Amino acid sequence: VTFVVEVAGRARTIDVRRSRDGWQVTVDGRPVEVDVHAAGGRLSLLIDRRSYEVAVEPRGSADRLVHINGRQVPVVVGRRGRPGAGAAGISAAGPAVVTAPMPGRVVKLLVAAGDRVEVRQGVVVVEAMKMENELRAPKAGTVRELRVTEGTLVEAGATLAIVE
Amino acid sequence: LRKILIANRGEIAVRVIRACRDLGLAAVAVYSECDRTARHVRMADEAVAIGASPPGESYLRIDRLIDAARVTGADAVHPGYGFLAENEDFAAACRDAGLTFIGPTPEAIALMGSKTAAREVAAAAGVPVVPGTAAALGAGVGIGAIAAAAEGIGFPIMVKAVAGGGGKGMRLVTDAADLPAAVRAARSEAHSAFGDSAIYLERRLVRPRHIEVQLLADQHGRVVPFVERECSIQRRHQKVVEETPSPVVGAVLRERLTAAAAAVAAAVGYTNAGTIEFLLDEEGRFYFLEMNTRLQVEHPITEMVTGVDLVRWQIAIAEGAPLTIDPAAALVPRGHAIECRVYAEDPDAGFMPSPGRIEALRVPSGPGIRDDGGIEAGGEVPIYYDPLISKLAAWGEDRAQAIARLRRALDEYDVRGIRTTVPFFQWLLRQAAFAEGAFHTGFLDELLHQRHGARFAVTEPSLEEVAAIAAGVAESLRVTAVASSAAAAPADAAGRADAPLRPADRWRSYARAEGLRA
Repeated sequence: VTFVVEVAGRARTIDVRRSRDGWQVTVDGRPVEVDVHAAGGRLSLLIDRRSYEVAVEPRGSADRLVHINGRQVPVVVGRRGRPGAGAAGISAAGPAVVTAPMPGRVVKLLVAAGDRVEVRQGVVVVEAMKMENELRAPKAGTVRELRVTEGTLVEAGATLAIVE
Repeated sequence: LRKILIANRGEIAVRVIRACRDLGLAAVAVYSECDRTARHVRMADEAVAIGASPPGESYLRIDRLIDAARVTGADAVHPGYGFLAENEDFAAACRDAGLTFIGPTPEAIALMGSKTAAREVAAAAGVPVVPGTAAALGAGVGIGAIAAAAEGIGFPIMVKAVAGGGGKGMRLVTDAADLPAAVRAARSEAHSAFGDSAIYLERRLVRPRHIEVQLLADQHGRVVPFVERECSIQRRHQKVVEETPSPVVGAVLRERLTAAAAAVAAAVGYTNAGTIEFLLDEEGRFYFLEMNTRLQVEHPITEMVTGVDLVRWQIAIAEGAPLTIDPAAALVPRGHAIECRVYAEDPDAGFMPSPGRIEALRVPSGPGIRDDGGIEAGGEVPIYYDPLISKLAAWGEDRAQAIARLRRALDEYDVRGIRTTVPFFQWLLRQAAFAEGAFHTGFLDELLHQRHGARFAVTEPSLEEVAAIAAGVAESLRVTAVASSAAAAPADAAGRADAPLRPADRWRSYARAEGLRA
């Protein structure tokens, strides 16, 4: 199976095959010696004898967080010819949505519909886990819509505002 | 005492249950709806339901906690920290119900709980206080009068909740124009956190360090202060890293700081464990900030460098035992200890809380490491409470070794399913200023500001290819798992190297464990 894996903005073609002799892995066509075993809910990889303890945590359809020896590396996985969506980037055109990352209560609106906002400018303050969290605009633009008012209880994922 | 009810949850409830076990005492847990299967409930000898998940309907319900103590025949109550730990009505309700409250008297809690009254006590005991308003500014005091007071003190100033604690209801104001908004925010936060919207103003010192003195005081008038803790690494006025001893406090300053702390405690006839917080300016002058009339979150590091079990002494003092700790030894640190507060927060999303199910957890251990946690794999971090999940502390013969061990332990820390502040600490402990001990209470916020929200989980170039290979291998396992569940697994599908993985059910369970399948 061949995958296109994006790490830190660079795409690599990873081809993975398994046979009686173990795993055959190539990176951009270059063979790499990899030994793979599952251990304790994690994978133990020996790559050219270097030992890596790895766990791959799904974060959406294509996004993965790869835990390697205590480090966390975000990657995007796609099949050949269908590279990952590049979910990290927010497209410059089109509307962007400010969503509640967790359930909470809207305590303050920092902007009004029609206001011009800069990227990362605070839009809505949501109180959750006893802390007030300022939710920011994912891009610069105009606030097209505010879907909540002060005091609104919101669920995780709820749309709070749309910036265009 | 025979049986102690712990009026708390999470890691601190676990900590107190452990102290009960060490002493051969029975431990009673209380739990809200969402905490039925929490670790503190399963560890306890008995457990009592006290209501719905929001704290106001459970952990803050004095009546239900007292009932729980009655029903179980508990003879004492440990409040932990947070919730009702600094609530004089709770301490009084315990006393009225014939229960031993493991903490100071309701009178001492009430007196020191008013930050303005506490400042008066300190000043009367000859301890310098930060210049500020002497009286509390209640809801009736208008912004005009507050602005006038602020001008008199001089900007920058801190707006603080009179009933404050834990960084809540606190705002820094550098420009007079921002004062009304800061006052409104501080009052609203103070009202929701403490039920009291009164505030006061304090001059903001330039680049101060936060130094605090833990003390124990028995019922026979004996006060023993301990070697200081430094808690200058704060994010938005909340401590995130604490260490002891302070890198900048020598024996002479330690003597003066601890004597001042003991004087404040003695002035109010304080009993049990408490902490006096000071600000230390760049010239080495210190100022009383406030007193915390409870066990502190960061108490483990004091235990690590002094060998004293503070919770055990809290219980002994509550029973009336005299303090037999050598006061001179309590001021001599054995080595160095540093603690990180690990929160269920996503540091790469502005430290947004990250509640949810913990898919996998492996906590560090080994030489010099102590992890005080309250979570387990398969457990949930609920949305209702403080997102502190564990305190990771390292001890070393000196500061450099403590840092090295803490870095090693952070790399061993494996939590999946929720985001935590571990990557943030991995970054922080590699900052030159941290290694040099060159920081102040605004240090971290300044450092974070300069990063403009850059990711903490730095990807070392050498790991990029490994990550790509790992993702490809995991993805191929997922694909194979899907295929093998659709059709009977071919007899020789798995190579000899993968014998442990061969049976199809192992593949499926692996894939499920990894969250690769629904």
